[in-house]
Amino acid sequence: MTTDANNNLVNLKAQIQQYLVESGNYEKISNDLNKRLLAEGWMESVKKLTLDEINVNDSTKFPQILKNVEPEAINMVSDTTKNEVIEQIKFFLNEVFNTEQ
Amino acid sequence: MSATINSVSKEIYNNIITTVIQDIVSREVVEQKQIKSRHPDYKPYHYDSTGTLDILGVPKIQESSQYFHCNNCDRDVSANRFAAHLQRCLNSRSRN
Ligand SMILES: [Zn+2]
Repeated sequence: MTTDANNNLVNLKAQIQQYLVESGNYEKISNDLNKRLLAEGWMESVKKLTLDEINVNDSTKFPQILKNVEPEAINMVSDTTKNEVIEQIKFFLNEVFNTEQ
Repeated sequence: MSATINSVSKEIYNNIITTVIQDIVSREVVEQKQIKSRHPDYKPYHYDSTGTLDILGVPKIQESSQYFHCNNCDRDVSANRFAAHLQRCLNSRSRN
């Protein structure tokens, strides 16, 4: 990818994020994801995982604990939740592109 | 364009999920830091998978071996008979 094309893509992503935030859809997607994660017990599991990391490493250094927790926590999201939320985001993005054309 | 929508959607999802994780981890880390600074010899509650020891790692005490002091009649009464004792003890006092 050329530098110009790359810059355009970065710009596009920033614009999309801004659109989602301004339209209130970012908040809607984020709240929806939070509700699902809470309902499927993911929130509790991540808290437990964090606590275990703190105890095992005997450390309360945020960057170190985060580095150990983040990959596993991302993996622990159920496929259903992940896919449905991504579909929801795609739905909003399709709206943007269709109205702009 | 649909390929872009696909990859951007996944990226937005990743942004949100990592924000949520950072939030949880930072709250837990701050909480544990506070507990450890306020209580330097803090130990978590004891957990016994067989369910026989309590949160201090102590087995259940026989209630019949414990005594409560009755302020009404000034006697020591076995803990598991205290309610029955009060019924009689408070009644007899009020009749006096
Ligand atoms: Zn008494």
